[in-house]
Amino acid sequence: NPRPSPVLGELMDLIRTEGQRMTAAQPSETTVGNMVRRVLKVIREEYGRLHGRSEESDQQESLHKLLTSGGLSEDFRTPYPSLRANVIEAINEMLTELEGTTDNIAMQALEHIHSNEVIMTIGYSRTVEAFLKEAARKRKFQVIVAECAPFCQGHEMAVRLSKENIETTVMSDAAIFAVMSRVNKVIIGTKTILANGALIAVSGTHTLALAAKHHSTPLIVCAPMFKLSPQFPNEEDSFHKFVSPQEVLPFTEGEILAKINVHCPVFDYVPPELITLFISNIGGNAPSYIYRLMSELYHPDDYEL
Amino acid sequence: SRRGGPPQEEPPPPLQAVLVADSFNRRFFPISKDRPRALLPMANVAMIDYTLEFLTATGVEETFVFCCWKSAEIKEHLQKSKWCRHSSPNTVRFVTSDLYRSLGDVLRDVDAKSLVRSDFILVTGDVVSNFNISKALEEHKLRRKMEKNVSVMTMIFKESSPGHHARCKEDDIVIAMDSATNRVLHYQRTQGLKRFRFPMSLFQSSIENVEVRHDLLDCHISICSPQVAELFTDNFDYQTRDDFVRGLLVNEEVLGNQIHMHVTTEEYGAHICNLLMYEAVCSDIIRRWVYPLTPEMNFSDDKNQSYTHSKHNIYRGLDVSLGHGSVLEENVLIGQGTVIGSNCSITNSVIGQNCRIGDKVTLDGAVLWDRVHIADNVEIHHSVICDEAEVKEKVKLKPRCVLSSQVVVGPGITLSEGTVISLHPPDEEEEDDDQFSDDSGVNKESKVKLKGYNKKDIGSEGRGYLWKADDKSEEDEEEQRQSLWGPAMHSEEESESDSDLSMGSEEPDSRAASPQLDDIKVFQNEVLGTLQRGEEENISCDNLVLEINSLKYAYNIGLKEMMQVLSKVILEFPLQQLDANLDSQNYFSALLPLLKNWTPLFKNYIKRASDHLNALCAIEEFFLEHDSLCTSIAKVLMTFYQLEILEEDVILNWFSLRDTSDKGKQLRKNQRLQKFIQWLEEAEEESSDGD
Repeated sequence: NPRPSPVLGELMDLIRTEGQRMTAAQPSETTVGNMVRRVLKVIREEYGRLHGRSEESDQQESLHKLLTSGGLSEDFRTPYPSLRANVIEAINEMLTELEGTTDNIAMQALEHIHSNEVIMTIGYSRTVEAFLKEAARKRKFQVIVAECAPFCQGHEMAVRLSKENIETTVMSDAAIFAVMSRVNKVIIGTKTILANGALIAVSGTHTLALAAKHHSTPLIVCAPMFKLSPQFPNEEDSFHKFVSPQEVLPFTEGEILAKINVHCPVFDYVPPELITLFISNIGGNAPSYIYRLMSELYHPDDYEL
Repeated sequence: SRRGGPPQEEPPPPLQAVLVADSFNRRFFPISKDRPRALLPMANVAMIDYTLEFLTATGVEETFVFCCWKSAEIKEHLQKSKWCRHSSPNTVRFVTSDLYRSLGDVLRDVDAKSLVRSDFILVTGDVVSNFNISKALEEHKLRRKMEKNVSVMTMIFKESSPGHHARCKEDDIVIAMDSATNRVLHYQRTQGLKRFRFPMSLFQSSIENVEVRHDLLDCHISICSPQVAELFTDNFDYQTRDDFVRGLLVNEEVLGNQIHMHVTTEEYGAHICNLLMYEAVCSDIIRRWVYPLTPEMNFSDDKNQSYTHSKHNIYRGLDVSLGHGSVLEENVLIGQGTVIGSNCSITNSVIGQNCRIGDKVTLDGAVLWDRVHIADNVEIHHSVICDEAEVKEKVKLKPRCVLSSQVVVGPGITLSEGTVISLHPPDEEEEDDDQFSDDSGVNKESKVKLKGYNKKDIGSEGRGYLWKADDKSEEDEEEQRQSLWGPAMHSEEESESDSDLSMGSEEPDSRAASPQLDDIKVFQNEVLGTLQRGEEENISCDNLVLEINSLKYAYNIGLKEMMQVLSKVILEFPLQQLDANLDSQNYFSALLPLLKNWTPLFKNYIKRASDHLNALCAIEEFFLEHDSLCTSIAKVLMTFYQLEILEEDVILNWFSLRDTSDKGKQLRKNQRLQKFIQWLEEAEEESSDGD
């Protein structure tokens, strides 16, 4: 008793609506939107495969295609009975890939970290932690962690690294430039990678990137591909998150608080020129190549959810 | 059968909360005549939404909302909100009654209906907070487990220095606590006083670390045990939480119940009791102190409330149009659909939905609710303008004005500070019963005698009645306290309160503070009575001593005060009998036998040198008060000396005291006194020669 095939267009609309709701709830969590787009891409691919078109021609929006095809691209109305199973399988594959991202990145550690190097990092990133721990198994090196005020997550990072017998130093953000001359590499994590290769990372990363650029120290960003977002930085700046000013100037300060404005931004924007290399689960890439990676992950129609 | 494993504990009962959506006072009249206080918008979201969000976020699963005034509106609002949806983690139950007159009534009802099964959170509907109660709740439960049900309530306070604008002056408290166990020992409202008294028992008990704190903001959030409801039922006179706290602290030895507290430094909690607090908390919400309850989060899940957050805390809703040249400086919230004209300057303001603002308008610290119309060339400073009010051209509103619903003002007038205008006439007849019934609006129309609008107050096209204009003769503290805005914060007072802070936080083992002045007065009268009886009935001195001693203990009088009072009373004794002919001679002749009789009295109390000095000071005081009798001071002192009550060195010491007042110096210039002193000195030399 075959069940009716899902009408794909409706499914995609549903996913899109829910995706819009979720991203509107917290715009700074771009990963949510990224995953929605990935799923939509997976659905399109599966449909395309069943519809009979080869993968390559489907993706190129060439001028020739635009002129000859005439109308809009397919409307997803043709039902295919095996579509449901295919889509579910593809999504499961994606899930497996997601679970293995940190390990994939960590496996590349030995190529980039050499003995007796001084590595600098900022704040706490689980990807960078795994990366450094993997390298520490075979190499001996030192790590300097910038504490990343006001949340000071660098402290936790330093504790975890030192448990693996990596020689770790914690320092305040103000000392970044001073110490940079002694550093061989800077390795950081990030919250989001934007379409132009820029970063949205914890507050303080821009300082680090500028200091690294000044000393011509390579800046390596370890981030899995699900953090790549097809959005460009714009005036709206909805990625920004301002939390309670309590961390910067506590409430107990009293009367002065009525006379001043206190802000506590969580994220920083780091322009692509300051970055040397992106290490992700699919390998190492230059920032200028990021836009190409996007086309593999997301369909152009889905850039705006 | 199970073996080995630990006995399964029951899963903890779901956390419940009691939300009292009525304030039982009329502080927000006339604004709350049209809308209940719980539905007043803070940054365009009703106050009760903030409270419910705080409760839901902190894990409450069942909330009882108690409404009284305008309960239908509150119920309707909540039923449309996300908390009454099927998927809400917090079940909201309404309990409505016209009979509630105070918080006490509500809690008595809670007890009567057995609504709460275990510890519950008690809040009022006007609390804004992002506090996470789990830690305080754990501590509370632990305390109750350790000492079976002794701790009845845990109050939540926020640490905040005295000058902070969110410190409500009328809600200000001073607390003495045991810092080891966080127990509340003494709780007092400051009420604008600058000096406070604490009972000595506080510092003399076995508790080692007593802290007196003035840096606490009362969040009006309490974790209560079910006993609280029972205690309210037992004590009918408890009406407010204050009554309860004070009653409990006073009756502590009898009932053994304790109140503890939890202080938070990092999270925000505030209670809106007057318009100053309303403004302060609105401003805090916009400046993100209450993160994550910020406007762009749209936690109430209302489609009309989606804002985008930009630099300098500017929040813009959907479909907002801003005219050419208009500037939104900082800390501005603009609701959906609002149209703002050109060349406006807006800062530190909240604007509701669908407002129309004209050109060249200046808004500074203004709070506008929905559908307000502002015409061109208007200036508004620090005022509140309610729904659908209209402000015509060229109007200027000075700080602290309030225009309530549908009022029209203007054109071309300036409203002075503190003007309150409402469509309800101020002397509108209100019967108490009508207050709390829902359909009172229908009846009111017929009762109100329609007065004409006073054009002078509100402009030629205006509509509304003047409720109150602030006159320059302020400082009627009581009245100020009752007004919409409440007492203003004056920064020049702060330096004095700072010194109070240092005075208040003394070491626990400081010396006894002098007892109340009235006590001394009463004691004095009692001593006088005793002596009178003593004279009439010829009571022996020993018995008199016994009586005076017992009085001393009864009134808790120190030795020094006692000495002074005794001397004074005895010296004044003859005055009563003489009254008319107040003459030194007569006085002295009346005094002499008394002194002779009561010598043992004196001798009993004057033993050490300091006692002598005290007595002499008292004598000096007496004679300074009664100038006419000055001449007899020498004779009095001579008598004292001869009766061996006072010794010569002490008298000489006293006489040569350098730091006396001018009057004292004058006294010492008295001839006879000087002669006496001379004689005394010679006598001393003689006696020392003789030795």
